[in-house]
Amino acid sequence: MNNHWMRRQRLLGYVFVGPSMIGVLLFFLIPAIYSFALMFTNYKFMNPKAGFVGFDNIARLLRDPLFYLSLKNTVIFLLAVPVSIALGFVVAVILNRRLYLKRLLRGLYFMPYITSGVAVAFVWMLLFHPKQGPINGFLRSVGIAHPPGWLSTTTSSMYAIDIIWVWFLLGYNMIIYLAALQEVSPELLEAAKIDGAKGWQTLRKIIWPLVSPTTFLLLVTGLIMTIKTFGIIQAITQGGPGNSTTILSLYVYQNAFRYYDMGYAATISWALFAIILVITLLQWLGQKKWVHY
Amino acid sequence: MRKKGWFAGMAALALVAGTLAGCSGKGNNGGEAGGSGGAKSPSASASANASGKAGEPVKLKMWGGVPPEAGPQAVVDAWNKDHPDVQVEYVRYVNDDEGNLKLDTAMMTGQDVDLFVNYSMSQTAKRKESGFTLDLSAFTDYDVDAKMGPDAAGWKIDGKYYGIPTTKSSFFVALNKDKLDAANLPVPKDWTWDELREYAKKLKAGDGYGFIQHTEPFVDPIDSVLSQDGYTKADGTSNLDDPLVRKWLETLNGMMKEDKTTPPLGEQLTSKMPVEQIFLSGEAPMLNIGAWLLRSSNNFTDYPRDFKIAFAPVPRLAGSADKYVTRGGIGDYISINAKSKHTDAAWSFLKWYADGGMAPLAAGGRLPASKDADQEAALKSLLGDKADTYDRDSLMYVMFDNKTPTYVRSVPQEVMDLRSQEYEKYFLGSQTMDQTISAMVSRHNEFLKTAK
Amino acid sequence: MEIHRRLSRDVPKRLAATIVMLALAIVMVIPFLWMISTSLKTPAEVFEYPIRWFPAHPTWAHHLKVWTGPKSFGTYYLNSLKISIIGMVGATFLSAFAAYGFARIAFKGRNALFLIYLSMMMVPPQVLFVPKFILFEWAGIYNTHLALILPGLFTIFGVFMLRQFFLTIPHEISESAFIDGAGHFRIFFRLVLPLAKPALATLAIIDFSWQWNDYENALVFLIDERLYTVPLGLQNFILENTVDYNGMMAAASAGILPMIAVFAIGQRYIIQGLTNSAVKG
Repeated sequence: MNNHWMRRQRLLGYVFVGPSMIGVLLFFLIPAIYSFALMFTNYKFMNPKAGFVGFDNIARLLRDPLFYLSLKNTVIFLLAVPVSIALGFVVAVILNRRLYLKRLLRGLYFMPYITSGVAVAFVWMLLFHPKQGPINGFLRSVGIAHPPGWLSTTTSSMYAIDIIWVWFLLGYNMIIYLAALQEVSPELLEAAKIDGAKGWQTLRKIIWPLVSPTTFLLLVTGLIMTIKTFGIIQAITQGGPGNSTTILSLYVYQNAFRYYDMGYAATISWALFAIILVITLLQWLGQKKWVHY
Repeated sequence: MRKKGWFAGMAALALVAGTLAGCSGKGNNGGEAGGSGGAKSPSASASANASGKAGEPVKLKMWGGVPPEAGPQAVVDAWNKDHPDVQVEYVRYVNDDEGNLKLDTAMMTGQDVDLFVNYSMSQTAKRKESGFTLDLSAFTDYDVDAKMGPDAAGWKIDGKYYGIPTTKSSFFVALNKDKLDAANLPVPKDWTWDELREYAKKLKAGDGYGFIQHTEPFVDPIDSVLSQDGYTKADGTSNLDDPLVRKWLETLNGMMKEDKTTPPLGEQLTSKMPVEQIFLSGEAPMLNIGAWLLRSSNNFTDYPRDFKIAFAPVPRLAGSADKYVTRGGIGDYISINAKSKHTDAAWSFLKWYADGGMAPLAAGGRLPASKDADQEAALKSLLGDKADTYDRDSLMYVMFDNKTPTYVRSVPQEVMDLRSQEYEKYFLGSQTMDQTISAMVSRHNEFLKTAK
Repeated sequence: MEIHRRLSRDVPKRLAATIVMLALAIVMVIPFLWMISTSLKTPAEVFEYPIRWFPAHPTWAHHLKVWTGPKSFGTYYLNSLKISIIGMVGATFLSAFAAYGFARIAFKGRNALFLIYLSMMMVPPQVLFVPKFILFEWAGIYNTHLALILPGLFTIFGVFMLRQFFLTIPHEISESAFIDGAGHFRIFFRLVLPLAKPALATLAIIDFSWQWNDYENALVFLIDERLYTVPLGLQNFILENTVDYNGMMAAASAGILPMIAVFAIGQRYIIQGLTNSAVKG
């Protein structure tokens, strides 16, 4: 084959990547660099007076108790991801057996994922109503005299948000697992169908490792997606009560668009970036131990 | 063959570009048709206006937080009818974080904002800082102090007005008169939080609450104290450990937990408790709120009601009344955007508005503050055909006759938030009183340091 | 005979499992049922317990207010549809284009570029809000739908996902095409794209649901109410009408039910799209 033609063909790589590259440059890379620079300024939105302040913002971040609190809340929020993955796996395995109404069931489990997070948040807010809500009404009717306060106490609010988030993510995880299970050989699945100890063993020792790449993908993307979210929290609790549901992404939003403190907001968001980076790297390194391609 | 490959690619790209162009056009049209200053295109029409072609009316945009149907639309319609040369359009923004951000970005990005209503001093201060509020001392034909009375001075920044406060903004405790009468309780004209607590106990029925609060004036008792005693001590450190702050926390906490006469704060916040509805349906007999209650209480379609409403001033924390100030006085501070191209037209409109043009807003509880406005007419429109359902004496007292001095809320948002976050933790039982006070103080001090 | 017996023995088990899973599935959708039921009630009935699923005096007033008021959800729907569909089509196509470049062409600097992509995937959107705001203002697209559509055309996740997929397509295919004299464009459009249909469908669905539910960007970049998308319009409606829970639930229904309807109609294709693809990490 003609060498010159091959070389030209290789140059086409830039043409393929080009359009996307322009977008990434404009909407990701340049803003990211700009925001990195903002970290060292005291730029306040609307306020023309801004100057470089060196590492002041970073020093402030390190002694800001709210930063650590929102970090802790973020970690609690992230718990929803592995839980929803585990549940999604279990549901997928069961739905993968011979069942009636399979399609309907899949649809019902998946439904939360396609609904608007904000709309759903308001529904849950009322379901969780501590005194009159249907959830606590149910708990009381089955004999629990003091059901949790859900969103209304500082100790339970973050977990109430977790419940919403698990509910939201479960269906998506289930669907992706169902796809992965299709690649598993039917004989193995047949073996897993046998109930009792043997079935459980097959599930744990054979199927779970077989779908581990999927688990890995769901974990990485789920964590990244979750850590960026703040819409549902902003809609129902605005980070309260107290600051019990202030997660890092919300804290960034508040600093930027409530206090107009853009320099500090940029600083927190880069801390958020550092955390995502560390989590992703850890997972990447850790995957050798449990992910089997 | 290769050429064809290229061609397909370019065609596809062109297609994408075409789609883009198409939708961009639509996006702008949407903004223009919307007319409330979207897109960039209005700048063209704005400059056309600026050149002042004869026959082309000046177009003003006024941003406010009151829903148009609650008065503002009637106000601008009345003006537009009499002033064909200056046409005003009312744009509503919700007076919360997102709404204020919306207004601020609109001004930042140079979209048409000619007049805007500020609802707090901290918002105004930010806007003044950024040079958006026109210094009204340039206009000499309107004496704000003389027209609006001594309460207006709270809105001055460095001794100057950057807007005109236009409404009497009353804050009060609305009372279910029928329930009070049944319990043989008089309508108070001056009372303390301890007395209110007793009222709430007596009025509490079964599982219900004796007293509920709108979240907006919730924190006012502290500000009433601190606006007098100072937010900072002489040495410049936080004064949030004022004994009366403690007193406020204790009283409400007792009401929430021991007496169970007022809803636990956590429950109220995370269920966005519709307090107006609860009060107007007769479920709770006392409601701490402001004049905007009348917007709902005059609306019998959505809020059918079978009792009379009486009004009491907001109670004080201190035992004695001599140092007491109450929130309110006058509000709805309307500024002219310094970057507006029609500041003169905006000024004429603003004067007209303040001196009575705003009358239709009275139906929503906003009475004009100017001494030149027709108060009796405003009151009539305030009460509408529902006058019999209010206790007139106490209404007159909280709106006009109460001579308690007033303050204007002027706490930075950061301080508002740090306070509320800490007292929420206290009311929710996750930290003690001492922890709460010391957390408030240390966070306030940290804020004072960074804000410097 | 053997098979027949096994099957008949299977039936009760199948039935039992189905019932259990159905019960759990109903728990999953209870929030929606409760929302619909509440939106038809009067304020006094909201928190009745045991829940009265069928209100005694159903009223459509709340729904009427949501759909016919001055801020009708109809506008929000048109806006959301426009943004999500353009974004979905554009993002899927551009991602496929770029993913092909990254996966199948060994051009200079490819790995470095891809590394930049990967690192950008981890940048939280919060980092980008402020600079994007300034950029959009400068470009004159702030407070237009373009402020959502243009960035929506580029999804790094999409490039990443499709690249993984393209890597699994055997190289022999393109090599034999090369020998026939076909260039990359022809290979892309004639060979790879048709093969990648399931993966493209998956990406399209995921991307659409992201764009549809995107609340954060709309919140920051749109001012004009007439430009609002569904999540933003919903939040706005609820903030402006904090009067009763019924209205709130009617608004939530307006934000959710049409989506559920579309899903119910197209669920076969949507779920097939999602499951058929090779999401293999």
